[in-house]
Amino acid sequence: MNFGYEEEGKGGSLGDVGIWRRIIAFSARYRLALSGAIILSLFVTGGTLALPALLQHGIDRYITAKGIENTVRLSGLTSTAVWYGLLVLLIFVATFFQTVVLEWLGQSIMHRIRQDLFNHILHLDLQFFNSQPTGRLVTRLTNDIQNMYEMFTSVMVTLFNELLRLAGILVLLFFMNVQLALLMTIFVPISALITVLFSRLARACFRAIRSQLVRLNSFLQEAISGISIIQLFGREERNRRDFEELSQGYLERTLSQIRLFGTFMPITEFMSSLATALILWYGGGEIIRSRLTLGELVAFISYMRLFFQPLRELSQKYSIVQSAMASAERIFQLLDTKSRILLPEHPVEKPVVQGELRFERVRFGYDPEIPVLHDLSLTLRPGQAVALVGTTGSGKTTLVNLLLRFYEPQAGTITIDGIDIARFALEDLRTVVGVVLQDVLILQDSLLANIVMNSGRNRQDVEEILGKTGMTRFVARLPQGLDTMIGEGGQELSSGEKQLLSFARVLCRNPAILILDEATAAIDTESENILEEAIADSFRGRTSLVIAHRLSTIHRADHIIALQHGRIVQQGSHEELMALGGYYAEMVALDRRDGDSL
Amino acid sequence: MGRLEFFIIIINPEKNDPSAASGSLIAPPALPPCNLCLSLGFKPLSVIAEKRPSESSRQTPPIHQPATTLFASSVKKSPPDIPAPDRPNRADLSQLLALLRPSFSRYRWRLIAGFSALLAVDFLQLIIPRILKSGVDGLAKATASQSDLLALAGLIILIAIIVAGLRFVWRYLIIGFSRLLEMAIRNRIFTHILKMDALFFARHTPGDLMAHSSNDLSAVQMACGMGLVAAIDALVMSIATIGFMLHIHVQLTLLALLPMPFLAYFTRILAGRLHHRFNTVQEQFSLMTEFSRSTIVSVRLIKAYTMEKFQTGEFDKLGRKYVKNNLGVAYIQGLINPIATLAGNLGMLMILLVGGRLVILGTLTMGDFVAFVSYLSMLIWPMMAIGWVANLVQRGLTSLNRIHHLLTQQSTLPDIADTGEQPLLQPSFNLRAVCFSYSPARQPALRTVDLELGPGIHGITGRTGSGKSSLCRILARLYPVPDGQLFFGGRDVNTLPLAYIRSHIAYVGQEPILFSDTIAANIALGRPEASEEEIREAARSAAVHDDITNLPDGYATLIGERGVKLSGGQRQRLALARALICDRPVLIIDDGLSAVDVATEHEVFAGLRRQFVGKTVIIVSNRIKMLSLTDRIVIFEEGRIVSQGGHDELLAANSLYRSMFAKQMQVPAGDGVEP
Repeated sequence: MNFGYEEEGKGGSLGDVGIWRRIIAFSARYRLALSGAIILSLFVTGGTLALPALLQHGIDRYITAKGIENTVRLSGLTSTAVWYGLLVLLIFVATFFQTVVLEWLGQSIMHRIRQDLFNHILHLDLQFFNSQPTGRLVTRLTNDIQNMYEMFTSVMVTLFNELLRLAGILVLLFFMNVQLALLMTIFVPISALITVLFSRLARACFRAIRSQLVRLNSFLQEAISGISIIQLFGREERNRRDFEELSQGYLERTLSQIRLFGTFMPITEFMSSLATALILWYGGGEIIRSRLTLGELVAFISYMRLFFQPLRELSQKYSIVQSAMASAERIFQLLDTKSRILLPEHPVEKPVVQGELRFERVRFGYDPEIPVLHDLSLTLRPGQAVALVGTTGSGKTTLVNLLLRFYEPQAGTITIDGIDIARFALEDLRTVVGVVLQDVLILQDSLLANIVMNSGRNRQDVEEILGKTGMTRFVARLPQGLDTMIGEGGQELSSGEKQLLSFARVLCRNPAILILDEATAAIDTESENILEEAIADSFRGRTSLVIAHRLSTIHRADHIIALQHGRIVQQGSHEELMALGGYYAEMVALDRRDGDSL
Repeated sequence: MGRLEFFIIIINPEKNDPSAASGSLIAPPALPPCNLCLSLGFKPLSVIAEKRPSESSRQTPPIHQPATTLFASSVKKSPPDIPAPDRPNRADLSQLLALLRPSFSRYRWRLIAGFSALLAVDFLQLIIPRILKSGVDGLAKATASQSDLLALAGLIILIAIIVAGLRFVWRYLIIGFSRLLEMAIRNRIFTHILKMDALFFARHTPGDLMAHSSNDLSAVQMACGMGLVAAIDALVMSIATIGFMLHIHVQLTLLALLPMPFLAYFTRILAGRLHHRFNTVQEQFSLMTEFSRSTIVSVRLIKAYTMEKFQTGEFDKLGRKYVKNNLGVAYIQGLINPIATLAGNLGMLMILLVGGRLVILGTLTMGDFVAFVSYLSMLIWPMMAIGWVANLVQRGLTSLNRIHHLLTQQSTLPDIADTGEQPLLQPSFNLRAVCFSYSPARQPALRTVDLELGPGIHGITGRTGSGKSSLCRILARLYPVPDGQLFFGGRDVNTLPLAYIRSHIAYVGQEPILFSDTIAANIALGRPEASEEEIREAARSAAVHDDITNLPDGYATLIGERGVKLSGGQRQRLALARALICDRPVLIIDDGLSAVDVATEHEVFAGLRRQFVGKTVIIVSNRIKMLSLTDRIVIFEEGRIVSQGGHDELLAANSLYRSMFAKQMQVPAGDGVEP
């Protein structure tokens, strides 16, 4: 499935102008700094060009002015030198500020775009995330933005300057000698052609190198992570051979890059020598024919050298601009991707919820062709605790996904207190409905901060909640209690402790409806005792829906729903269902028999 | 930038003194661009400034690394040890260079040819202005004919072609050499790593090792490639230029060169600092990368907890810091480039002031004055290059030192040459008062454990951290044991080759480690020659055959990063199949089926029982059903054996076991399988 996102492609509906307009829109709020940077840059260029003029002034007026008194010449020279020195310092300072301002500007704009993008991505629907490899989204947020940044600072301003300079030099050349200048202009298209060709080849080359490096590094990474297996199964020699093969491949690719650069890098310099030869031959002829002075010829040669510098600069920036434009396009495409979950225009105001939950003829499939839930209807009365049982793929988790509006049902409605959940603001909905999922998100912070997160509770609240549900014991086991640092580099939590944390976190938000996806993995006995007690307590006064794996939880539920292939096959209390026989009773019996066989 | 102004100086239209003007341009080496600038492909300034993370390093964010930072999602057992990273001591320079010597001597002719080409380019560059001078002189004296000019132009073109060719040659030979060197060291590192023990991998995280093989290697490669080129080029160019200048006027030379040492010095200092700050930027960049990665991976959780705003806020903090770090780099970059210009301009100022005075006083000719100006311009790049090279070399040496440190690390396991002994058919392990701890600073993981593990099925159980896994690890010879504590087939393990002992053992670890390859190749890892039928048989025994045939390409399905993602239970069963196919006399299963549901696990082992006859099978598990299948159960607590015996025996005698039984026999309903 492709959710409207073309792979790495270029040239969607966004024309180049459109991209530029958006980039400019992002930069608009920094227009003061931007114009400051441009002024500074013009000032630096101006100052740099003024220095030789000053030097020429010193030479013409004083050093070579034979008719004037020596002392006057010397003092004139000194004052010129002073001005020269001042200008030198000014250029120094201006360049410094220009660099810093430009950096600040570029980074600030990129920061903005990055934040917008991050926020945008987070609000996209889960179906979008299923269709996108994580790596691609990460690349958008990091490398693509970085590419754009390169263009912004190193190109936008220099491009402008270089073009200006190139044009200026061409005008000067034409001013001096039209034929000779026309001869020089030949180099512009040649250089452009070579640039385009080179950047195309270089790109292919870099891509090959990069992909080989990725292969090499992931092989290495895998080998290091799996070193014990490699050693235990005696695979060292084979792995070494494979690695050396990859290494050799990398070498060959870098060598072909060196060959490419070796071919193209000297070309500009070669053209410059070629131009010198042309000028000497043709210009020299013009002198012999008395159509050009020697001084003009010399000036021409010097200007010609100047002429190749911006050409080289521009050819280098060309590939940067190209890749930046591609990145910009990808970023803006992503920003234009809309979430499939439509938000209500006028959401229900801060709902106070009784907790009546109703699924009405809900039909859904991740692929619409293959329904996971078939017209499922289900009602939970306020305060009722319902256990969902069923095998993998029966649709238990899907039910939770729909309730949290991670996905939209294809048909049917889900209501809370009779209000369609699509009318809630997403944030309200997900506060009213609290979930304990099997995966646990751990922030690198204290346990307290991990429990509180963004619920706005304070320490006292947390202690109270923990005390009420008997989870104080869990906290007491940790070295610094609530202040224990967990996450990366902190205290490692066992899987049971993670479940407890997750549970405490949800209770902290005091949801009216509690969804509990019980852990399948075995957790240690003590954690399990605490958790059971906490679950029992939190069921009181809450509508609860539990994907149950433990018999104890199932016992505690008022009502059991057995799901099979997206349909409810049986429901009732444990005793009722056992008495009734059938799917549920079989499931329990199956496990019992194994147990009894011991 | 820097060279620009000097060009403009030269075009100063000295109408009244044409010889001065022509002399200026023609004066011996009229600004041949030094090799350095060209070889780097752009202005050296931008090299020194080292703009951003290099293309290759930026494009490979550790996207595939397991989620560890910021979010540790789901269940993951802790590594046995988190020791302090050891800082390498500075090794002798000679030791470090010894690492490079093999490559240098192997490719010596390549290097000699490369540098000859480089010097030839330098030399030829100086000739072109000479030709130009003779042409212009001829024109000035009106002796030159059109055919003379054609000949000279042809000569220039010829030389330019040779220069371009030679540039290709040196680039290919010298830079190519640095790549060959890089490969040699990379392969050496890998070969070395393969021999290391688990203690080594506890000290060096995968991230560290990856850094060694990417960042450190490329630092060495840079120093031995471009660094070497720049150093030699700069040296030759500056010596030649300074020689010419001294020839004209000694005092003026010294004055004009006054700012140059400062330039070299500041470039070096700033480039070093720049590198440091630049690393900070890169670190921050990877933090951002990792943060966005982990956010996207756990997007379901974030949405469920309505943490979008919170996450965006956190990301904003990281982004702001990134901006700040980048500004830190910009401050230095903003200094480095202008300082070069400043040094050049100050030298110009000296020439203008003092040289001009000398011309006025008649001790210096105008031609010499102009020549001086052009020489000075030629010196700026080599001077900056010296600073740059010094920094590059320093960085290269630091990296080389780290690599050296890595390569000198020894495995603590005995390195005994394979004697080609026949494997034992029914080996047994004998533990005599084994004591073991992951590091001296930590609590021992095993305390005086006496245990005989011969043919039969042994169940090992106990709380987390009680020493079960440590036992498996030392049996598999991943960690060292002192002499006289662990015996294999009656012989001290320290007297036996590692490969010999390991060839008896099939191992299933806690975390199923699979490789990016086909399923068949993963199963046949320990027996690459296994037939298709054997692979299928092993998969069937591990109850994973049906799962595999349901995959798009069956046994040929690629798994891992670029392939299909398997569930935890499937991965564990694959790891089991991999162990079963080896059919080795010892099978160790270290809690290797925790994500497989109890019923399936039970089934698998009931089916395997016949196959296990006569073998030593060691199963670590906390599941009563599993343990009840074993011949004997050993219970660990805090590194000690507290109880052992059969299922019924322990049920009567051990309270821990009894409580486990009571808990687990409350049978779970539902699937309980593979999240």
